[in-house]
Amino acid sequence: MTLKNALLFIPFLVFLGLLQSYLWVPTYEDQTTAGEGRLEKFISAISGDARLLNPIVAADSASGFVVSHVFDSLLEIDENLRLKPHLAKEYKVSCLATIVVGEGFSPESLLQKISPHLTSEASEIRVLEPSILIRLIDPDGLGPLKEQEVKVTRPNRIEFFLDDVDPAFFEKSLKILGTEYGQEVTGISAVSVSGEISEGLISIATDLAPITEIRPVIDFDLRKDVTFHDGEAFDASDVKFTYEAIMDVRNLSPRRSDFEPIESIHIRDSHSVRVIYKRPFAPAIFVWSYMGILPEHLLNSVALNKEMDARGISGTARDGFGVRASKFNRSPIGTGAFKFTDWKTDESISLARNQDYFDGPPEYKELHVRIIPDSVAREVEFKAGAVDTYLADPHQVARYLQDPAYQPFTSLGLGYTYIGYNLRREPFQDVRVRRALGMAINIDEIIDYVLYGEGQRITGPYPIQTDWYNHDVQPEAYDPGKALDLLKEAGFHKNSEGFLEKNGQELRFNLISNNGNPQRKAILTIAQNSWRKLGIRCDTRLLEWAVFLKDYVNTGDFDAVVLGWGLSELDPDLYQIWHSSQTGPQQLNFVGYKNNEVDDLIENLREEYSRTQQVEMARNLHSLIARDQPYTFLYVGRRTQVVDRKIVMVKRSESGAVVDYEKLRPTPTGNLNYFFNRWRKLEAIPDL
Amino acid sequence: MFKYFTRALTQRIFLAFLISIIAHAVVHLAPGEPSEVDPSNPLMKPEDIAQIRMAFHLDEPLYLQYAYWIRDLVNGDLKSFKDSQPVLPKIWERFLNSLPLFFVGTLIVWCLSFPTGIYAAVNRGSKYDRLSTFSSYALISLPSFFLAYVAILWVVNNFGVPVLGMRTFGLEEASGISRFMDRVWHLVLPSFLSAMGGVAVLSRYVRSQMLEVIDQDYVRTARSKGLDEDTVIYKHALRNALLPFITMFGLMLPAMVGGSVIVEQIFAWPGLGRLGYEAILNRDYPVILTLNFIAALLTLFGTFVSDVLYAVADPRIRLQ
Amino acid sequence: MTRKNINSPVRETWSHFSRSWFSVSGLIILAFLVVVAVSGKVLTEWYVVFDAETVRLPQKLLPPMSLANANLFDETKGLLFGRYLLGTDELGRDVFARMLQGSFVSLSIGLFAVGISLVVGISLGGLAGFYGDRKIGIVRVDTLIMRFTDVMLAFPTFFLILTVVALLPPSIYNIMAVIGLTSWMGTARFVRAEFLSLRDADFVVAAKALGASEMRIIFRHMVPNAVAPVFVSATLGVASAILAESALSFLGFGVRPPYATWGNILSDGRSYIFDAPWLFFVPGFAILVVVLAFNLVGEGLREALNPRLRRTK
Repeated sequence: MTLKNALLFIPFLVFLGLLQSYLWVPTYEDQTTAGEGRLEKFISAISGDARLLNPIVAADSASGFVVSHVFDSLLEIDENLRLKPHLAKEYKVSCLATIVVGEGFSPESLLQKISPHLTSEASEIRVLEPSILIRLIDPDGLGPLKEQEVKVTRPNRIEFFLDDVDPAFFEKSLKILGTEYGQEVTGISAVSVSGEISEGLISIATDLAPITEIRPVIDFDLRKDVTFHDGEAFDASDVKFTYEAIMDVRNLSPRRSDFEPIESIHIRDSHSVRVIYKRPFAPAIFVWSYMGILPEHLLNSVALNKEMDARGISGTARDGFGVRASKFNRSPIGTGAFKFTDWKTDESISLARNQDYFDGPPEYKELHVRIIPDSVAREVEFKAGAVDTYLADPHQVARYLQDPAYQPFTSLGLGYTYIGYNLRREPFQDVRVRRALGMAINIDEIIDYVLYGEGQRITGPYPIQTDWYNHDVQPEAYDPGKALDLLKEAGFHKNSEGFLEKNGQELRFNLISNNGNPQRKAILTIAQNSWRKLGIRCDTRLLEWAVFLKDYVNTGDFDAVVLGWGLSELDPDLYQIWHSSQTGPQQLNFVGYKNNEVDDLIENLREEYSRTQQVEMARNLHSLIARDQPYTFLYVGRRTQVVDRKIVMVKRSESGAVVDYEKLRPTPTGNLNYFFNRWRKLEAIPDL
Repeated sequence: MFKYFTRALTQRIFLAFLISIIAHAVVHLAPGEPSEVDPSNPLMKPEDIAQIRMAFHLDEPLYLQYAYWIRDLVNGDLKSFKDSQPVLPKIWERFLNSLPLFFVGTLIVWCLSFPTGIYAAVNRGSKYDRLSTFSSYALISLPSFFLAYVAILWVVNNFGVPVLGMRTFGLEEASGISRFMDRVWHLVLPSFLSAMGGVAVLSRYVRSQMLEVIDQDYVRTARSKGLDEDTVIYKHALRNALLPFITMFGLMLPAMVGGSVIVEQIFAWPGLGRLGYEAILNRDYPVILTLNFIAALLTLFGTFVSDVLYAVADPRIRLQ
Repeated sequence: MTRKNINSPVRETWSHFSRSWFSVSGLIILAFLVVVAVSGKVLTEWYVVFDAETVRLPQKLLPPMSLANANLFDETKGLLFGRYLLGTDELGRDVFARMLQGSFVSLSIGLFAVGISLVVGISLGGLAGFYGDRKIGIVRVDTLIMRFTDVMLAFPTFFLILTVVALLPPSIYNIMAVIGLTSWMGTARFVRAEFLSLRDADFVVAAKALGASEMRIIFRHMVPNAVAPVFVSATLGVASAILAESALSFLGFGVRPPYATWGNILSDGRSYIFDAPWLFFVPGFAILVVVLAFNLVGEGLREALNPRLRRTK
C-alpha cells in the first residue's frame, strides 16, 4: 500500500471503526422490551450530584432524596400532613415541672403552700436533692466552637410529672410566693464558670438556674422488628447516638440548632427512649419526622477509631474526625425501604430493594438516580424512555397534558415567592407605599403568563396546604388607580417628568434578585414595567446567587428583593423569619420586620401544645402579617411531575398477593411520591 | 543540550510556583462564599455558619490560607469544601473519566484532519477543497452547545439510541464486548464535538504544510528525476508537518480541563471540566485552586516535552 | 506572465484577498453586520422604530411572522407590518427587535475584547522585541515579558475566563476585559517575533544611523510592517470573543439584563427548544453567519498576507 493510500484510508477506517459501535447499542425500544430488567428499575434524574448520604449532614436536595429512601425517621408525616408513627410505634408527650425550695421552706411546707394553686394534676411528685449540673453554653453568640462550660448549682427542688405540657403550671403559685422567692439560690448566684463572667452570661443565667422549670418529655416506644441493612437490629441506642452525633460540633450538622431545645435523651430500655426538653417548644416534635436514624454500631467511637486506623489517620487529625468525615457517607446503611448499592460520582447513585423492610418491601427492585445537569438533556432522556420521571417547566406542562404517553401530576410546592421590602429604608417604612406597590402589579397575570397558570396566589407566610394558612385573608386586587391614590395619600405627587416624588425626592429604588431563575427574572421586568406606569423609577439587577446573599441580603444592603422561601417545615413556628430578634446580619428576618404583637404571638405559639390553639394563633399571625405587608406575597408555584403512563400502583391483599393495579395518585396535599413504594412499571399502558 | 534541558526545567518550576500564587490570589479575592456556608435554606443559623467558617480557615489572612492550601495539598490532606472528601483522589477519578474523551478526541482529530487536509491540498481549488474549507469553518463558527443540542436531537430522533452519559443503563447483564462497544459509542459523540475545533485547525494546517511542500524545489527535482511524486510529497510533507504537531499535542493536554466544560455538562459526563465548573459555582476553593494549578502544570509539562522533542529534532534550537 | 505594477501593499493584499469568493462574501457580510448593528442600536434605543423591551405577556411564544393582536393594547407600534417578524419570546418581546439590539452589544463585546488584547499584546510584544536586551535588575526585559506570557498561556483559557468571570461582579465591562486580558498572548508573540526580525533590517538600521528617535522608528517604520499578522489574529479574535460570550451565557455567567446579546438570547432560548424552536435557532443561525464571516475574512487575510502561500502565475 502506498504511503498516500495509507495516510488517506487508514484514518477513515479507524473513524468508521468508532462509528460502528453504534450497532452494538440497544435502541430505546429494545431497552424496554428486551428483558424485564428495565421494568424493575426506576430511573430518575437530578441536576446535581449528592454530597453526603447521611441524614444528619445532608444539606442538598440530591443527598436528601437518597437519604429519604435509605433511612427512616422515628415518626412520619402522613397523607394529611399529620404525624404518624414509623420507627417509633407510639409516642407520648408529658412534662416535668420543677420548682426550687426557697429560703424558709422545706419541701413539705412548700408543697403544702402551693398545692391548691397548681393548674394540673401531677401523676408523680418527687423531691430532688441538691446537685451540680454542667452545661455547655454560648452566651455571646460566638458559635458552637466557642461554647463555654458552666457549672450550675441546683438546690433542693420539687419535681412534678404531668401528663400534658402545661407552661402555666406554676403561674398562680408564684404569685402567692412573691417576686423575691428563690432569688438567693437561683440566677447568676447559682452559676460558676472558669474565667470571667460575661454580659451575655448574666442575661441567660436566669435560664440556667431558674426558679421554675417546665420541661416537656416525649417518650418513644420503638418497633422491635426493624433491622439495619447489614442485619444489625435497630434499638434505642441508635436514637440516642443520632442525637449525639448531630450535637457533636465536629460534624457541622446544619440541623444542630433544631435539636438544641433537647436537654437529654435517656435509654429506658432497649426499645424505649425518653427525650427531655429544656423548655416548652411545640415545634420540637416535628424534627423527629424528618431526621433519619443512624446505625450506632457503624459510627460510634469504636467504629470510627477502626476506620481511622485503617485509613492511616493519626495525630491531631484524629481529633477532628467525626461522623461527617467517615466513609460511611459514601456508602450509607440505614433501615429504609431501599439499600444503597453503588455511587459513581457525578454519574449515578443506585439503590436496591430492602426485602426485609418492616413496612413491606417496595415494588421496584432497583432505584437509580442519574445525574444529568442540563435540563434539555434531561427532557431528551425522559422522552426517549431512559428516565422514568421528569419535572416539567411551566411552559412545557400544556404539551405534556396532551401527550397520551405520559401522566402529569401537578401539585403545589411548599413555600412561596415574594417581593421583600427593606423596612429600614424610606419609602418602605410607610405601609401605604408597600400596599400600593403590591396593588400596582397584576399578580394574576404573572401567574397566568409567567407560570403558564401553574401557580396560586398566596397572602401570608404559611404553606397554603397546611392548617396554619388563613384562607379568610383576601388578596389585594390589582388596582393601579387605587395604588396611585394610596401613594398620593402618602405624600407623593407627580413631578414635571411624570415621576412620583415627595419633598423633592424621587420615588426610586433598586429591585434585585438572583440569576438562574427565569421566573424571578420575569418578575423583575414585570414589576419594573408596572411601577413605571405609576411613575415609579425602579432599577433592576440580577446577581449571582452567592454574591446576592453575601453582599446584599445578609448585610441588609438592598431596597427590594424578589425571593422565595422553600418551607419544608410543617410546624407553625415563624420565629426565624418574622421575629424582631432575627433582624441582624446573616439572619433570616432580613427585611427588618418588627411588630411587638407579632413577636408575642410567635413566642406564645412556640410554647402552645394544643393543636386547636396553635391553628388559631397561626391564622391570627397570618392576618397580622398580611395587614402589615412587609412582603408583597406573590404566589406558590405548582410543580408538575410527569411520569411514564406505564407506571401504576400495586394493591396487595393481606396475604401479600397482588390484587389489583391502580392509577398513580398524589396525597390530598399534592405529594405524588408519598406512595412510591407501591409503584411498578408495566410492559404496556394499562387500561385503568 | 543538558544545559538547555535544565534551563527549561528550572524556568518551569519557577513558573509553577508563580502560577500557584496568582491562582490563589485570584480565587480568594473574589466575592461570594463557599456554598456550605450559604444559608440558602432557613435551616442554617448564623452559629452553624460561623462554625463551618472556622473549620475551613475562611477567616484567616490570605497568606495563611495559601500556606494551608499548599501544606494540605502536599500532604494529600486537602479536603473539598463540598463534602470534606480529599481533593486529589477526586481529581484523579475525574481525570480518568476525561482521559478516554481526550484520547478518542485526539484520535478523531488526527483521523479526520490528515486525509481531508492532504486531499484538499492536492486538489487545491477544487470543489472538494472549497467545500471542506467552508464546512470546517462553519463547524467552528457555531457555539458549541448549539451544535451539541442539534447533534443530540438529530441522533436521538433518527437513530433512536441513547447518547448521554458514559454508558447505557441496564446493560449489566450483557456481554463484555457489548458493554465495551456501548462505552465506545457514548464516547463518540462528545469527543467528536470537542474535537471540532481541532479538526478545523489541524486540517487547514496540514493543507498549508502540504501546499508549501508541493511547491518546493526538491519536489520538482524529484518529479523531473522520475521518482514517484506521491511518495516524495507525502514523505516530506509529513516530516515537516509533524514537528509543529508536537507543540499542539503538548497544548492539548490542558484543554482536557478547560475545553470540555460545556460538552461534559450537556452529555452528563463526569469529567474534569464539570468538576471545575461545579467547584466554581460552589466556591469550593480547594478544588478550584488545585484544578487551575494542575491544568497549568499540565501545560508546562506539555510545552516542556515539546521543547525537548524540538531540541532533539532540530539542531538549530539546541545551539541557541 | 503579466507584469504587475508596483502597487502599494494594501492593493496587493486586496488583489490576493479578492480572489477567494469566501473571503469577499465574508467581508460583505461583515459590512452588513456593522450596518445592522449601528442601525439596530439607533432604531431600538434612540429613535425608536423597533421596540425591544416592552413585555406583552398575552403575546408570548408566538412563531415568526405572526400577526400582532392590536386589540389587546396599543403597543403595536414598533412592529413592521404589524407582525412579529421573528416571533416573540417568553415574555412577549419582539425577537426581531431584540436581535437588532443585541447585534450591537455582541459586536461591541467582540471589538472591545479584541481591542484590549491588541493593546496589551502589541505593547508587551513590542517592548520585548525592541528593548528586549535591556535589563531591569538582573533580568532581561525580553525574558521577563516572555515568561509572563508563558504563565498566562499556562492557564487553560476558557477555564480561566470562567473562573474569573464567575468570581467577579457580573458586568458587561468585566466580561469584555476578562476575555481581552486572556487572549493577548498570541499577538504578543507575533509582534515580538516581527520586531526581532525587523530590528536588524536595513531600513531600520538606516533610520537609526540618520538619527531618528526610537519612538519614530517604532511607530513609523516597524509597526506598519509588523501589523499584518495582528490583523489576522484580531479578526479571528472577534469571532472567538463572540463565541466565548455565548459559552459564558450558557454556563450562567454571561452578560446580564438589561443588555441583550445574541449569546444570551440563544442561551435563554434553549429551554424552549421543543416548544418555541425559533427562540433557539434564530440567534444560533445569526451567530453562525457572523462568526463564520469573521473566520473567512481572517483566513482570507492570512492567505493574502502570507507570501509563501501565494500562487505564482
